[in-house]
Amino acid sequence: MWRREPHDAGPIVLRHRRIYILPTRRGLLLIATLAIMLVTSMNYALSLGFALTFLLSGLVASALLHTYRNLAGIAVSPVAAGEAFAGTELGFSLSFANVGATRRGIVVTTAAERSVSVDLGATATHIVQVSTEALRRGRQSLGRVTISSDFPLGLWRGWAYVHFPLSGVVYPTPEAPSPPPPPGREGSDARRSARAAEAELAGLRDYQRGDALNRIAWKAVARGAGWYSKQFEGAGGRGPLELEWTDLAGLDTEARLSRLTAWVLAAEREARAFALRVPGVELALGQGAVHRRSALTALALFQEREERAS
Amino acid sequence: MIFSAAPASPLTRMQLAWLAALVLLAQAPLAFYVPLWMAVAGAGLVAARLALPADRLPSPQLRRWLLPLLALTVAIGIRVKFGYFLARDPCVAFLYVLVGIKYLETRNARDGGLLVCLALFLLLTQFFYAQTIGAALATLPALLVLGGTLAALREAPTNAEWKGAVVGTARMIAQGIPIAALLFVLFPRLAGPLWGLPADALARTGLSDRMAPGSIGALSLSDDVAFRVDFDGGLAPPPAQRYWRGPVLSRFDGEAWTLPQRARGGLLLRTDSRTIAYTVTLEPHGRLWLFALEHPASLPRRPADAPATSSGDDTLALLTSDHQLLTRAPLLQAVRYTERSTLASTFPSVGETERRDNLQLPRDKNPRAITFARDLRGQVESDRAFIAAVLARFHDEPFVYTLTPSPLGRDPVDGFLFDTRRGFCEHYAGAFVVLLRAAGIPARVVTGYQGGEINPDGGYLIVRQSDAHAWAEALLDGRWQRFDPTAAVAPSRVERGLGAALPLGEQVPYMAQLDMTWVKRLRLHWDAINYQWQRGVVGFNLDRQRDLLRDLNLDNARPWQIVALAAGAILLWGIFVLAMARMRLLHADPVLALWSRACSRLARGGLRRSPEEGPLAYAQRAARRWPQWKGLFERIGESYAVLRYGPQTADRADLIAALRRSVQTLPTARALRTR
Repeated sequence: MWRREPHDAGPIVLRHRRIYILPTRRGLLLIATLAIMLVTSMNYALSLGFALTFLLSGLVASALLHTYRNLAGIAVSPVAAGEAFAGTELGFSLSFANVGATRRGIVVTTAAERSVSVDLGATATHIVQVSTEALRRGRQSLGRVTISSDFPLGLWRGWAYVHFPLSGVVYPTPEAPSPPPPPGREGSDARRSARAAEAELAGLRDYQRGDALNRIAWKAVARGAGWYSKQFEGAGGRGPLELEWTDLAGLDTEARLSRLTAWVLAAEREARAFALRVPGVELALGQGAVHRRSALTALALFQEREERAS
Repeated sequence: MIFSAAPASPLTRMQLAWLAALVLLAQAPLAFYVPLWMAVAGAGLVAARLALPADRLPSPQLRRWLLPLLALTVAIGIRVKFGYFLARDPCVAFLYVLVGIKYLETRNARDGGLLVCLALFLLLTQFFYAQTIGAALATLPALLVLGGTLAALREAPTNAEWKGAVVGTARMIAQGIPIAALLFVLFPRLAGPLWGLPADALARTGLSDRMAPGSIGALSLSDDVAFRVDFDGGLAPPPAQRYWRGPVLSRFDGEAWTLPQRARGGLLLRTDSRTIAYTVTLEPHGRLWLFALEHPASLPRRPADAPATSSGDDTLALLTSDHQLLTRAPLLQAVRYTERSTLASTFPSVGETERRDNLQLPRDKNPRAITFARDLRGQVESDRAFIAAVLARFHDEPFVYTLTPSPLGRDPVDGFLFDTRRGFCEHYAGAFVVLLRAAGIPARVVTGYQGGEINPDGGYLIVRQSDAHAWAEALLDGRWQRFDPTAAVAPSRVERGLGAALPLGEQVPYMAQLDMTWVKRLRLHWDAINYQWQRGVVGFNLDRQRDLLRDLNLDNARPWQIVALAAGAILLWGIFVLAMARMRLLHADPVLALWSRACSRLARGGLRRSPEEGPLAYAQRAARRWPQWKGLFERIGESYAVLRYGPQTADRADLIAALRRSVQTLPTARALRTR
């Protein structure tokens, strides 16, 4: 349970070996009260005082079983890790398969103390989104997740740890405000002034796999007319961008990555194709969500492996 | 990390309502035992907060000052009312109001948790005053809302649904009953208190060691049970012979009678005449004496169904020279003892000092009575003749037997004998002894109970506080002889009880009245149930626990063995409750039950389903492992998938039946393992 490395693979079923239960603050207070009631009953030889105290003890014991039962038998498995910019929330999804009766008030807490509370329906599988703070660029693992519940009476808290090898990608923080991206290969000053203008819709073409979601002509899809992608024609100066690591000499590594990230986002916003060249990674000209993602991932993982190795 | 942080957000209205229900239900049983103004104040504070909208209440800042002030005021009020504070009753009363004050200032869930604990302790305190079936039942409502209150504090409820919470609590309490019963039986009981009890814990209704005019009369208004008696063979002596001897009072200060300073050992009365054996179940009275019919022929022992303790000494009390049975420690628990008595009205005196002690009389009090007695003694030739003359005077003169005597002055015996002539048994007994002593005849007052009522429903005798009585004893020819001057005035008191003896129109306790109405019959019926309750539950003390352990052959077990036994039982209980919960789930869902049966069969055969594996995939994996049952496995997997995930169809029942048949034809785990 104290191991740092993720050691859980595949679905983990919460069983008694994994579930810890201790009284909550309120549970301790109640147990202390029962102790006082017991001593009072002893001193005054109150048979019914004993009976009341023990009846309440039975209730507390039975609450313990209910707390255990509420957690036991849940099967947790890793589903997906997200990506996020450093400083924002990095999302993960876990699947909770419940073969038993409804589970109430299951709290899933990540190492960063972010928690979500869910009820799991009877014999159903739920995907639970949890998040952790995206700290710095690179790969970030989900870390140990605590699954806990103090259902039904809040007298006992049961919890279990799961630690999956699930890691998401944290992109560098985009520089803000950032200088404009370098002009494109065919760009000129006059054209650059129109840079901020929105691209104009030029027409539709057949949808192809990999087209960005925000380029899909959803209205056409909704009409049932078929799948099309919107074609934009940039105004002048919308030529492809060349984002070069070497252009940014004079800045330190992280600042360079930050600016490149901002530029990638700007290019994407303006619907311009871009190429990215950083040491170790070369992305040819491209456009769309997949391209953007590869670019951001390349920036996120820049020199990461070397750092790890050293 | 381990403890969930207490949410600091203010309580919602629903949470406050749950807390109010718990607090009010915990206060309710005590309302009759605390002073009226406090009963109203304690519950009123709760009702006020619940009824007033939040903006009409004093602000939290003001409340922080107001509430300690309020608590202090109540404390002072209690001090004034009771005259003391650090004792049981004032503390209970204070707690009663304090719970209301705490409710008024409860802000968040943490305060709520504390309030729940206070309310639970308050619930216990009512047992200081009564441990009847009714008192036990009175705790149930509070217990039933406890679960809902705790659940509401855990997570603010969004609707006013309370029935489900109450049923859920009832189920959890029921599940806990085996634990409660185990602890109740096995938890070690103490022979005495852990620390000194406050004085008021001992004060209970019953006879006292001091008798002044009016003290027994006050007792006679109570219908409380003093003790119950089972006679061996069911044969009770006639009412006129039922003199239950209690404190013997021989010191007189002119107004009140008290116990002698020293007690000496006495002799049991063993005669050839018939002795009568019986078992007494005595309610705790906080004093030393046990009651026996006049006159004891044995020392009181634990009943035969509870043989000797390890020390071998099973007598419960000692006999004094004036035939009182005294225990070693005040009776704080109900006690059961067997006793034998010889039905006699005389017994031998132990010696000359008794004679001297029982002639003591204050010289400056009651001069008219003393003069009268000396004159009368001069006119008759013997002590016996003198006594007869005194009794005749009580009978012939217009003496009235009444619960409402007129007030008496500085010389109460004079006032009673010559002016008011209205009195209760203590007046007659006291005046009688004064007259005898003045005439030189050693005499003393005996208090106890006289009579009692046979409960036809159970065949035992009930002796109530209203049967309290005082009579007299005179030393004649070396023997103490019983005289009951009350019988000279109102013979029916001795023959038929208080209800028959008092004049019409006087207030008689209901159960002492003579006519056997159906209400009275019902109450006797109820008393029979209560008697069993007293014996079995309330009277479960150290002795009864020893008996039970002996019956279970556990009396020689070492403590650790009993603890181990209890731990094992608790473990079994936990497994049982969890299994029951699973059974309930499977019972509610036959499809799931069949599927989990199939899965566990295959798992025992060596192929465990992984939690994420769907039914079809699992069936195929099983088919690959055991190709000879391929069809069967696939059938089960498919029909389970259809039943669970498919649309609801009309032939669902048929599908379930088919699934059941398939599951029933599954090979055994052993067959699976060997292939």
